[in-house]
Amino acid sequence: MKRPLLGPFTAPRTSAHLLGPIQKITTPMRRYGAGEEVDICIVGVGSAGGILLQRLARAGFRVVGFEAGPFWDTERDWVSDEAGSHRLYWNDLRITGGDNPIALGANNSGRGVGGGSVHWAGFTPRFHPSDFREYTEDGVGVDWPIDYQVIKPYYELLEREIPVAGPAYFPWGHPHGYSYGPHPLGGVADKLVRGCTELGIEVVAGGPVAIASGAYGDRQHCIYRGFCIQGCKVGAKQSTLVSHVPDAIDRGAEIRDCCMVTRIDVGKNGLASGVTYIDADGHEREQRSKVVIVAGYAIETPRLLLNSACQGHEQGLANSSGTVGRYLMVQGGNVILGRFDQPVRMYKAPPANALTEAFYETNPAHDFARGFAIQTVGPLPIAFAKQMMVAKGAWGWGMRRVMMDYNHWAAFGLLAEILPWEDNRVELAEEVDQFGSPVAKITFSLKENDQKLIEFAKQKTMEVMWAAGAKEVVQEPRYAHLIGGARMGHDPNSSVVDKFGRTHDIPNLFCCDGSILPTQGSANPGLTIQALAVRTAEHIIMNRDAVLAGRPGSMEEPAVRKDLSPPGTFTRGIPQFVK
Amino acid sequence: MTTYPSARPNSDNLPVDPSTGETRPPQAQPGYYPGFSTLSQEPFWDEATRAVVLRRVHEQPPIRFFTPDEVALMEALTARLLPQDDRDDEHRIPLVPTIDDRLFTGRIDGYRFEDMPPDGDAYRIGLRGIDAVAEHLYRRRFMDLGATEQDEVLWTLHRGEPPAGEDIWRQVPVSRFWLLINQDALESYYAHPYAWDEVGFGGPAYPRGYFRLEGGQPEPWEVREQRYNWAAPPDARSDRYEHLGGPSTHHVSAGQEGSH
Repeated sequence: MKRPLLGPFTAPRTSAHLLGPIQKITTPMRRYGAGEEVDICIVGVGSAGGILLQRLARAGFRVVGFEAGPFWDTERDWVSDEAGSHRLYWNDLRITGGDNPIALGANNSGRGVGGGSVHWAGFTPRFHPSDFREYTEDGVGVDWPIDYQVIKPYYELLEREIPVAGPAYFPWGHPHGYSYGPHPLGGVADKLVRGCTELGIEVVAGGPVAIASGAYGDRQHCIYRGFCIQGCKVGAKQSTLVSHVPDAIDRGAEIRDCCMVTRIDVGKNGLASGVTYIDADGHEREQRSKVVIVAGYAIETPRLLLNSACQGHEQGLANSSGTVGRYLMVQGGNVILGRFDQPVRMYKAPPANALTEAFYETNPAHDFARGFAIQTVGPLPIAFAKQMMVAKGAWGWGMRRVMMDYNHWAAFGLLAEILPWEDNRVELAEEVDQFGSPVAKITFSLKENDQKLIEFAKQKTMEVMWAAGAKEVVQEPRYAHLIGGARMGHDPNSSVVDKFGRTHDIPNLFCCDGSILPTQGSANPGLTIQALAVRTAEHIIMNRDAVLAGRPGSMEEPAVRKDLSPPGTFTRGIPQFVK
Repeated sequence: MTTYPSARPNSDNLPVDPSTGETRPPQAQPGYYPGFSTLSQEPFWDEATRAVVLRRVHEQPPIRFFTPDEVALMEALTARLLPQDDRDDEHRIPLVPTIDDRLFTGRIDGYRFEDMPPDGDAYRIGLRGIDAVAEHLYRRRFMDLGATEQDEVLWTLHRGEPPAGEDIWRQVPVSRFWLLINQDALESYYAHPYAWDEVGFGGPAYPRGYFRLEGGQPEPWEVREQRYNWAAPPDARSDRYEHLGGPSTHHVSAGQEGSH
């Protein structure tokens, strides 16, 4: 055995709830009594739910978050192991179909406090200004009910709360910079920079990524072990579990983990009256509340609205337009794999390590609208083997052989915008889950623009891989992320929620998560989901009396309040981009 | 430790040294990283990870899903999906118990294709399909065939053109079944520290982490690659790379971990 540089490791002996090696939750959780009405129930404590819970608790609301999965103690529950991380994902049955059925589970669906932010790679690019005006600018998709300027201050706030590490100058979309320093390059990022440079394509490295490059409060900085999407035991990568949930609990929020909400209850007055859920022991319970916010992401949010159908809402809640579950999107996420003569060892460093958005915007010379990004990815052996099965047709001895070359391969992922289509959707299947609720059935098919865009993006990304010096380049088609299913808009006839996430049909029922995004650009959606959650919280805080009384609040933009950030996260210092 | 029948290595199935034509004897650790041992680093792993990985190495789940006949067929099948004839007896990675455990406990990846039955049914039906092809081509059951013939049977699945069992493949689309069984075998094999040593993957890395990020350099406790030439057994079919057959839309059906 080689002499190691550090001594053997023993986990800290403590009865405290650990989030990473040094962060602890010591405040006892507030517990609301049975039968006690609270102000707000939040269904799903993930990327959006964790933020909402923190903001609303800090503003003095009585809030309870319901999470179907566990409240992780990361030191005890998470492992530095690919196969052992299965529990981080939403593994309950869903049915997937259509011409291009999408993979769910580990590919895009989290479970447990922190939700998808526990297993995201952490890329945090902003959306571009053009993303909010696609119909006006390109005649495709739909315009958002808000523009970039509305969301920009929330981006700036969250980039410091998360915090996002990245380059001082980021040239695409609305050019901006990051106040936390970029990460060093791993082998894959090095290849992306080489390939782009060779072809004269602008590229950035070291972020933007939701991984602390320096210690941040009681969170350690990154140790470059490469297990980002298996849950960051280090606490360097942001999940709302480590960034916002501890402050939420400090401020009196309650989280009921292992509690699956099966129905939103509606009272005789037509308003939401609370939720029905199955607790950790399998008992059905109710929680009354003045407001309900659904934050279950693009599959479970529509599913819960549909499963909550009742008298007066026979087609499901908030579904008078028939739009619930529709306009579901993923991004073209083909993985392009290149083999190099010299070892790369792509298991080291964060998978989210470098990217280019040089092809993000519509190019009039192309025969398709919109664009794509190219990013680094870093599959560990099991994921890589499955990619090789598809990309190379490897099996048997051929699989053993290509896997022995694992350390010679580098992987890029493209992120190609797929447009919102009405018939790409979530419906209810005939089959039911362990609680007796119909499971989601997802139908997904690519249209012409999507196919042309993905084909172009694939060819361009392969070109970059060749230019980086690869001696063999193969690719695996796949999809990344989930968006839509309860989209926001001004028109109640073609959208589910308004620009603040309030459902058009029921004034005290909100949706706030990736399901409300009308389009998705070719940016990873995590930052935008969290930014919209802060904004919905600000709206509710500013319109406290109206919202708690079940009336619509003001449609004015709320002020961006910095005093609601977790302590110590708000600082100056965003680099300004001068051109 | 293992209580199930196990397909024995046969010298006909051994890889060869292309320069001499001699077979390469089974070894403890195939691959280009001699002396590299992720398990030797176990004292530097965190406790939760250590418990999960060591259980995987030292304890095999009991067979509870497959019938004895199916176990025998699964052993023969996985021995071709991921041949281990180049590994010595002590260092072969059991694949069937892990797959059995997944099917028995009903663990899935969070979705099912609308044209597929539940995974357990898919296995039961699809295994019959493999035997149907074997009977059609060689008038024998799959497990009674030699490795070359078995490869030929599986090759028809890989191409998405099985010459028999039409009624079976109507219930379980052959391309999806082929990916399902390969994916399960891969998840078992490449989850094992012996496989990590073989491919030079560092294994668990918390709380120590890495510091040599660029240039593919080994950490002080890792080893440099030492390549050697090897060829698959001369009659093996699976050492040739050919794209999966079947309708192209089926190609996205591999189980997918997150990427971006």
